[in-house]
Amino acid sequence: MYKYSEKDKSIIESRTKQFKNQVQRRLNGQLSEEEFKPLRLMNGLYLQLHAYMLRVAIPYGELSSSQLRKLAFIAEKFDRGYGHFTTRQNIQFNWPKLPDVPDILHELSKVEMHAIQTSGNCIRNISSDHLAGITIDEIEDPRPWCEIIRQWSTFHPEFSFLPRKFKIAVIGSKKDRAAMLVHDIGLRLIKKDKEIGFEVFVGGGQGRTPIIAKKIKNFLQKKDLLNYLEAILNTYNQEGRRDNIYKARIKILVKELGIEKFKLLVDENFKKLSDKNLEIDKVSIDKIFSFFTLPELKPNSHKVQIHKNKEYNEWVTQNTLSHKVSGYSIVHISLKSANHPPGDISSQQMMALSKISEDFSFSEIRVTHEQNLILPHVENKNIYKLWIELKKLSLATPNIGLISDTICCPGMDYCALATARSIPISQKISNHFKSFSDQKILGDLKIKISGCINACGHHHVGNIGILGLDRNGQEFYQITLGGSAKEDASIGEIVGPSFPESKLIDAINTILNTYKKNKKKKTEDFLSVFRRVGIKEFKKDLYDNT
Amino acid sequence: MIILNKRHEKENEYKKINDRDFLDRKFFDGAILNLAQWVEIKKEFKNKKVKIGIEFSSNECSSSNESSMSEISLIQIKFETFKDGRPFTFARNLRKKYGYKGEIRATGHILPDQYIFLIRCGFDSVEIAESDKDIWIEFLNMDNGLYYQP
Amino acid sequence: MAKKLRGEFFILSANDLRTGEVVFLTEKGWSVNSSEATIIKIDQVDKFQAISDRDEKKCIIVSSKFVELDENRKIKSLRDKIRNSGLTFKI
Ligand code: SF4
Repeated sequence: MYKYSEKDKSIIESRTKQFKNQVQRRLNGQLSEEEFKPLRLMNGLYLQLHAYMLRVAIPYGELSSSQLRKLAFIAEKFDRGYGHFTTRQNIQFNWPKLPDVPDILHELSKVEMHAIQTSGNCIRNISSDHLAGITIDEIEDPRPWCEIIRQWSTFHPEFSFLPRKFKIAVIGSKKDRAAMLVHDIGLRLIKKDKEIGFEVFVGGGQGRTPIIAKKIKNFLQKKDLLNYLEAILNTYNQEGRRDNIYKARIKILVKELGIEKFKLLVDENFKKLSDKNLEIDKVSIDKIFSFFTLPELKPNSHKVQIHKNKEYNEWVTQNTLSHKVSGYSIVHISLKSANHPPGDISSQQMMALSKISEDFSFSEIRVTHEQNLILPHVENKNIYKLWIELKKLSLATPNIGLISDTICCPGMDYCALATARSIPISQKISNHFKSFSDQKILGDLKIKISGCINACGHHHVGNIGILGLDRNGQEFYQITLGGSAKEDASIGEIVGPSFPESKLIDAINTILNTYKKNKKKKTEDFLSVFRRVGIKEFKKDLYDNT
Repeated sequence: MIILNKRHEKENEYKKINDRDFLDRKFFDGAILNLAQWVEIKKEFKNKKVKIGIEFSSNECSSSNESSMSEISLIQIKFETFKDGRPFTFARNLRKKYGYKGEIRATGHILPDQYIFLIRCGFDSVEIAESDKDIWIEFLNMDNGLYYQP
Repeated sequence: MAKKLRGEFFILSANDLRTGEVVFLTEKGWSVNSSEATIIKIDQVDKFQAISDRDEKKCIIVSSKFVELDENRKIKSLRDKIRNSGLTFKI
């Protein structure tokens, strides 16, 4: 894992001090709310429906056991005993008090964490593949590149007041497990004639105008990465729209100019502005890479244990993957047990998991953008023991990738922008589809739920997307079908008129029946069937006889 | 209002030209023109070094208004709101793309919290209320010189 | 703000600047208890807006808004109801 240098430390400390000063000035009236807001946002602090909310960055989703322990401590001491993992691999605390926030940031800084740029119109926390560095299908580990970008983007003097927020994802495999194509900039490591570099995508995003990112560069040399990012950001900062918040994301600029014209502007900036000092040399690349080595794993021939316990077997098949080192597994911890708010975790669970990660996974934990956790390196021979421990904590729900593993935003229960609730919907779904065998029949299926068009719950790219709407004061839910956030990314199509909450589960059942009846082979998943038969079939079954 | 150049207050040698003087083409030393005025009379000053400033509103800080302005001794950028980040890029581009060497000054709605960013993007000075001087300097003093960017 | 309001009766709500808690304006000042909130008629909105502006300046509250009431003088919209009574599920 990355370790802070002295420089990182003093930068974070000085920011913590600066924020303390800003909070003081806010409390004594020297800063108005209008002035304080962008400053607090740049430190991850929102004012939500009920209270302040602090979003803490988990850079590219990596946590150490001591960091997780610190998060547990913060949840316990300064909040209401729990935290919420988001779709961008961050954690949110829902109830902090303003005067406590500088203390929280100070606590975080002790374990090399912060809340910088988790919000506001700046370059946000960089997200990545949760299997980075441990999966066989990888061209190169994306995490060092995330770290390089994290440093460059932190307190960037030029790009801290952008037209809107700016999200970057980096992946290192052909497979996209980070929803890279719905980011403002997506980077994929690729190999061309033995040289590794980046394929660059720009202008993806969700929200009101969902767009799959367009490719802007087929191959970018590693050394040019930061100069090229600057060229894009420079273009966006000047030309991006500032007159209308809904049109201010880079995706709209790219759409309005067209990718070709946008590319010309970027290329020109790249030519004129490139700075030798921003080029990344081999020595500094190697140095960053040296932080991301595997722990001392000992390849062995142990297979994952089989056991007569049915529950255990279900969990093993659904929640574990093989590690690139033989004899080890990657273990998913589902934060989607029935009736539970997706992504929430209690401080006791965090505390216990921190210990478990020390005992079973070299003190490492990861956060996925699907709001689950991962123990990245578990020895096959310890898997049963681990399961017992997780089970005690109610953290052994066997549903990764299945219908009850919903992605879900906080919705109207927390969020001031929401038009409807989303957590209760997800609870209903997870309750209705509890049975493992029923879920297995449905196979890979992603339901994603947002409480408003901002789409924090990624509904546009859910195989089944659910969007909460307000119809004359009543909650209604619009369903989209056929979205995907993977390498074959697509935006879901609206199936038809929306449903009241009371009819939603029935509607989902109808949709699933249409799927089942059109399935040609046992293994054909929902998305493939949808793509083959089209939305018409689903529409017909949903609406024709009502 | 005072002019702060890094940590030091300095005399304001510039003043906005009024319409009358502009119409009469009375360009005194230290006159500040707005962008439209500058565009109108630009030719007359070609290749002459003059002690004249132009004021850009942050709304005008787009790439289409970028050009070489080497004749000019002051470029003053008026932030309509501190949230408008265009001037940061504008100033940086003037320096890097066009090698502009004169003074770049920020005025309008700006916060001391932005002081270091302004300077690092190529601004030299800020126009602020006299009563805010201490806090602006305090923010500059918080700068420990450690940055991730060159 | 007042211009956009629809409805006849309101209560004034905000967040406590320090704690972030949802508070309501009562006869005795700001309180977490909405049932004590002063009922405001549409034509009194400006007067109460001034109170809110003053308390915002005094750094007591932040993000104030008028909460519309229905014909039974109960909070009308779902969002405001949730804002008043908290999460709609157990954690
Ligand atoms: S999608 Fe809407 S309701 Fe959900 S968290 Fe985002 S802004 Fe809030």
